[in-house]
Amino acid sequence: MTISSPVLRNSMRLILPITLLYAMYAMLKGHHEPGGGFIGGMIFATAICTYRMSHGALAQLRLMPVHPRVLIFLGLGLALGTSVIPLLLGEPFLRSAVGEFHLPFSSHPFHYASAMAFDLGVMLVVVGVGVGMITQLSEELE
Amino acid sequence: MTTSETIWLLLCILAPAALGCATLWLPKRAIAARTLIALLGPVASFVILAQHLAAHGVSAPEAPAATPVIEWIPVLHLNLSFLADGLGGFFGLLVSGIGALIVLYARGYFGRDEAALFRFFPTLGFFTTAMMGIVLADYMLLTVLFWELTSISSFLLIGWDRDDRHAVKLAMQAFFTTGLGGMFLMGGVLMFGYATGGDGGLWRWSEVLSAGAGRIDVSDPLIVWSFILMLFGAATKSAQWPFHYWLPGAMAAPTPVSAFLHSATMVKAGVFLTGRMFPVFAALEWWSDLIIPLGAITMVAGATIALNQHDLKRIFAYTTVSQLGLLMCMYGLGSLEYHGHANIEWDITQIANHAFYKAPLFIIAGALGHYISRDITQLGGAIRKRPAMVITMLLAGYALAAGPGTISFQAKEFFLYAIYHAQESIGPWWMLLMAMAAVTAVCNVAIFVRLLTTLMGWPGGMKPAAAHGAHDEHDDHAHGHGEHEHGPWAHLIWIPGLALVLLQYVGGLAPGLWGQWFAPLESHAAEAIPTALHAFMHPTLPLYVSLACMAIGAAVGLSPLMRGAIVDMHDRIYPAMYWLAVTGGGRAFRTVQTGRFRHYIIFVLLAFLGAYVASMALDPEMLRWPAVESAFEFIPGVLLGVIICATAILMPIVQSRVVRVIILGSCGFSVVGMYLLYQAPDLALTQLMFEIISVILFVLVLRLLPDTKETDRASGRWWRFTLGTLTGVAIGWLTLVAAQSGAEPKLGEWFARHSYTGTEATDGRGGGGRNIVNVILVDFRGFDTLGEITVLSIAALGVFSLFPRRKPMPTQLEFEEQIAGGAAR
Repeated sequence: MTISSPVLRNSMRLILPITLLYAMYAMLKGHHEPGGGFIGGMIFATAICTYRMSHGALAQLRLMPVHPRVLIFLGLGLALGTSVIPLLLGEPFLRSAVGEFHLPFSSHPFHYASAMAFDLGVMLVVVGVGVGMITQLSEELE
Repeated sequence: MTTSETIWLLLCILAPAALGCATLWLPKRAIAARTLIALLGPVASFVILAQHLAAHGVSAPEAPAATPVIEWIPVLHLNLSFLADGLGGFFGLLVSGIGALIVLYARGYFGRDEAALFRFFPTLGFFTTAMMGIVLADYMLLTVLFWELTSISSFLLIGWDRDDRHAVKLAMQAFFTTGLGGMFLMGGVLMFGYATGGDGGLWRWSEVLSAGAGRIDVSDPLIVWSFILMLFGAATKSAQWPFHYWLPGAMAAPTPVSAFLHSATMVKAGVFLTGRMFPVFAALEWWSDLIIPLGAITMVAGATIALNQHDLKRIFAYTTVSQLGLLMCMYGLGSLEYHGHANIEWDITQIANHAFYKAPLFIIAGALGHYISRDITQLGGAIRKRPAMVITMLLAGYALAAGPGTISFQAKEFFLYAIYHAQESIGPWWMLLMAMAAVTAVCNVAIFVRLLTTLMGWPGGMKPAAAHGAHDEHDDHAHGHGEHEHGPWAHLIWIPGLALVLLQYVGGLAPGLWGQWFAPLESHAAEAIPTALHAFMHPTLPLYVSLACMAIGAAVGLSPLMRGAIVDMHDRIYPAMYWLAVTGGGRAFRTVQTGRFRHYIIFVLLAFLGAYVASMALDPEMLRWPAVESAFEFIPGVLLGVIICATAILMPIVQSRVVRVIILGSCGFSVVGMYLLYQAPDLALTQLMFEIISVILFVLVLRLLPDTKETDRASGRWWRFTLGTLTGVAIGWLTLVAAQSGAEPKLGEWFARHSYTGTEATDGRGGGGRNIVNVILVDFRGFDTLGEITVLSIAALGVFSLFPRRKPMPTQLEFEEQIAGGAAR
């Protein structure tokens, strides 16, 4: 389902990069600020779907040239992987490693938790599911 | 023994599967290399195991020597340790030895069918590994694990022809029956471990055997029940009556599979388990009371049905059932005492005896089916066409008839002696058992006589009957690949059969040599095996019985009686149960499971309200008016609340679906505002995105839905309205009540304390994040999240498969062209 409106088309060109960037930001920052993988994924999927509405299916395919199920597969694999790795190190399932490191040219320490990788997996799954369902259903309509 | 022995035996178990899977990397055309590598698996197992037995000897039954433990999951009493005693070692050698022969036979059977061989060798290797695991595992739960793996691999092999619905159905039948037995076995093992002391209990076969009767209280009902459960597992696997139906059904598999799984190995797993349990449970009264009747009935039923079959594979399937019954019966009789010692002799020889003639019979049946026919009525004078195959089959058939000169003869004598000796304990019942054994023997002899006369083309053989001409629905379709291969493989297809059947004659003609091989493995071998001549020189009642059976059997075989093919009524047991559960009995099921979403919701809401009323009746605190002081002070909150309530009330009043979606959306957006007002940005963001996506999805789905009927809307509307209102009020009340419970520390505070840094309660570990909501999602409740994204993925896969693409996915090239075209446009 495509809405042929020049206003939407042009504003989407502006909005899309910002939204995608914000989605990534929300995911990465999620451990300390409002956000997280689920929200990031939702924002990402919404942006992609809106882009599809304004620019059509082919444009969406060009923007995201993989089948959404690949994202689902990768995301689940990543989440499962980060859950299992602690087991190999003799820790309980899903235990997250926490630490800090200094980025070059920065005095501010970067705080990380390995749960972020898990969160990235969640995000990939959510993007895959959201985009996949909407594309599939709208293909059915077309 | 050192830990390296454990690793060697682990390798011995894993080799067939590993090398079988390794063949997948070969190119499809490389048949010779494929066969060679697949052959290497069982051969390696055989060599490693034989080397192990030679180096460490076969341990005495009272002091079994298991290999040292390598810990795997100690909490579950599931570790790696292997026990190659007489029984386990013998079965291991049998499985790997016959496995190697079957690889060669499969090469001849499938010919140059590359796709079949590509799939076959890995699956066969998987099965061989599972079977080796059963017989060598020392931890009982490890045995259970491999037991289930044999069920799975056997399912894959029976349902080999995936396009044949009938074969797939039969594979499911076998899987359900043996899988159910596996569940019972697991229950039995767990109960046994619990009854013998839980964590400090007996979880290893070696401990069980060496502890013996001392630590096992045979009067404990838990022990009795664990025995009955384990026996149920053994009986289903070994196709004991009335669960025997799956075995003839399993003949839908290609013949290499039938020869391997359904005659020599998998069905023997039940006998193996009975043999394992024998030293432990034989002291139970239930042992002989249950196993003797079970085995005897199976024995007679199998033999009499076998006599009335025409398809060679079905004939041999039913004689297998019969022989399995005999072996069970033998272990049952073994618990009875005779002159102060166990009434069991050379039990492993009995098992070997059956494998050494039954596998060749199947092998030749498959080969004959390949070149001529598997229907015995079509095989008149087959010796002129395929002399080598027919001679091998007749040699094996002679062993089926337990003719003198084969080890089968001595084995039959031992069995008859066991019955004869049982009169000390079971009184006149022994005569009934003897009669049942005689009927079985008569049937076996008659089958051999028929095979002989028919295949040689002598008078009295089976002839194609015009009357029946029934379509054989159990035919396996593996021999449908066009013209047959001509070459060394095709001409040598009978060699594996001959190799096995010759062992029969070694045992029969030179029992001393046989004794040298088998006596170390046997735990009940007080006397040497007598020669057939010796038996004739010192005739006793069992010999007279077998001679009479041979005479009557020959007469029955030549007579025109019982020559029509019948359908075993047990072939209908499983379909009848299936029908009861799905088609016929399903009607009761379907009155509850209407498949209408609305009915399900009504059920759920009614259950919820019921639970709510019950809890209010139990706890009067829930009825007290919640003291809400500051609810109406914050004006923006009140305004949003009014909007939410208004949209909720409008929902059932509005008729049009599109308007409903819009109202639902506005309700959701008002909730977003509510979250923002009360400072829950995470929830607000999530809800916002969720609302956007769900509105888009609704709009898409609505256009796909059919129009609602007017009657649907009108009927029971007020009733549903009441139900909905009640539920809403109940949930609202519950929320208010929940907010009141201030006395106990709240979970939220705990999360707040632990989300960044930990406290003593968590060993100083925190989630390492300042956003509590996110830490809960990915850390405290990470397991839930993992489950949720899995559910999401499955839902998405469901959508993908519900609406399959009409056009196939573009290939990479087309895809690039499309993109290029799109860009140009």
